[in-house]
Amino acid sequence: MTRYLSLFGQYALQYAKVRLEYRWDFFISVLTMTLATVFGLAVVFLMFGRLHDLNGWRFDELLFLYGFSLLPMSLFNVFSVNLYQFSDIYLIQGKFDRVLLRPVHSLFQILFEQLRIEALGDAVLGLFILSATGPKLGIHANPLNVFFLCAAILLGALLYTAIFTILCTVSFWFEDKVGVMPPFYNLIAFGRYPLDIYNGFIRVVLSWIVPFGFATFYPPAAVLRPSIYGHFVWLLPVVTAGFSAAALWLWNRGVRNYSSTGS
Amino acid sequence: MKPLIEVSELVKEFRSFERAQGVRGALRDLFFREHKTIRAVDRITFEIPAGEMVGYIGPNGAGKSTTIKMLTGILMPTSGLIRSNGFRPFHERTRYTRTIGVVFGQRTQLWWDIAVVESFRLLKNIYNVSAADYDARMKRFDGVLELGRYLNTPVRKLSLGERMRCDVAAALLHNPPILFLDEPTIGLDIVAKDHIREFLKQVNREHGTTMLLTTHDLADIEELCRRLMVIDKGKLLFDGPLEELKRRLWREHTIRFDLKDREQALKLEALASDGLTVERLSDLSLRLRFPRDAYTTAEIIRRAVNSADVLDIAIEEQPIDEVVKQIYSGNLLQEPVP
Repeated sequence: MTRYLSLFGQYALQYAKVRLEYRWDFFISVLTMTLATVFGLAVVFLMFGRLHDLNGWRFDELLFLYGFSLLPMSLFNVFSVNLYQFSDIYLIQGKFDRVLLRPVHSLFQILFEQLRIEALGDAVLGLFILSATGPKLGIHANPLNVFFLCAAILLGALLYTAIFTILCTVSFWFEDKVGVMPPFYNLIAFGRYPLDIYNGFIRVVLSWIVPFGFATFYPPAAVLRPSIYGHFVWLLPVVTAGFSAAALWLWNRGVRNYSSTGS
Repeated sequence: MKPLIEVSELVKEFRSFERAQGVRGALRDLFFREHKTIRAVDRITFEIPAGEMVGYIGPNGAGKSTTIKMLTGILMPTSGLIRSNGFRPFHERTRYTRTIGVVFGQRTQLWWDIAVVESFRLLKNIYNVSAADYDARMKRFDGVLELGRYLNTPVRKLSLGERMRCDVAAALLHNPPILFLDEPTIGLDIVAKDHIREFLKQVNREHGTTMLLTTHDLADIEELCRRLMVIDKGKLLFDGPLEELKRRLWREHTIRFDLKDREQALKLEALASDGLTVERLSDLSLRLRFPRDAYTTAEIIRRAVNSADVLDIAIEEQPIDEVVKQIYSGNLLQEPVP
């Protein structure tokens, strides 16, 4: 475990060096990140500004939900680059050979070999929204809330990782450049709004089939409406553990099916 | 002593589909695909004792790389057994890969964008190499492979020869008892090839590192390996010393004779008979060709010298590439071993 932690540190260090080597690329992405954050905030105000009440959720509450939903996602996106390009670069171009030759679990290498620090821009936006709307809703940054927030972010990011890893493993059996991830990625947007505005089908999908709801809606909803959503929050670790175990199992099965490239 | 690498009845099958031609075919492929099973490696059995350097050759698509990929744990065998350094490569991969080094000539194992030395540092951590060992080995690599000059260059900026030296050094950084090399000299110039071969020889001599290498360049084999395995269409066709293979493929010998004048040349030409053919190279130079199992070289020379005034004799070695050509065109071992 400590070995993996120190290896992660090494990867991060290398990543930083590469990014600094391509200086302009780095400056440009910092600029893009800042702009994206500003535009993101503008969109939120334009969109939610017109909604004063959505199925009983007030404007500040909607903002609060939206703000939280950005956090696990942005943490996940720091590590998600390789999952998105896994099929193309690793399976079809055969780069997975190199990964398998190293005495470190292959999924660990895929997740941590390439980082995308710009993704944290959304987290800045999310935290800003939370700190702006929280106090108005009577939610303050006391130690308990901060602990709860951190746990929900970590577990949410882990849940995203598990779900997308599962989607990724499909490529081990069905050779395809893009993979099946894009439509699911779009599904996440649904989770940014209160789940009770949707019909039963979408609610079931987002809670139990592709449970993005646990990474987006349920944790902040549990804080805002404890009597209704409080108990869902205890399911977050359970669902995350279940999906992570499934992801690891499927991944290891998939590797058995890896056929490399010619020569 | 038990052999270090044991392979028995190893099989690897791939499922593939045939692509139909044209747009219509591509559309049909979307929904219906004709699958077929290809056996890339077909019941291969061999053993390699510790410390041996073995060459593994065969034409493109013969199953060389597939075998190496199973031996290194990248691919799971369809059936059969591999035990290498006490491990089952695929099933115990994470522990097994600590004890092997792998070089793919066609593809670098290093990180593309970072300086060579950074790649080495990452590998040092991945393989838990101690600082003292790391320094000692880097010093040695620098001595033989002259890595020092480009340690701070990113891998993508290296020439093929430089990159290959780095790759070989990287594969040996954790001092593995087994080294697999898949076409380690492909595309290299003579000097670079020589460097790599010398280094491999030295490592084998000093550390007793067992090596299995695939190549298309038989000079690699001649320089490095006493033992050679030949694979084609997934089957192991030959396993033994290079000399034995040459003997088996060279069913004919040729001797060139230079003669004093045309008259003598005509006398020698008259020797042509059953199985013994005479080729005229120039007015005063002839080549006699004869099957090895019918005549001995000495016998032919005696006959020639007795019948004509010979100035010079050259026993012609068949070039090594001819041997490869014969193997690759399928002339090997269809007949029983003499």
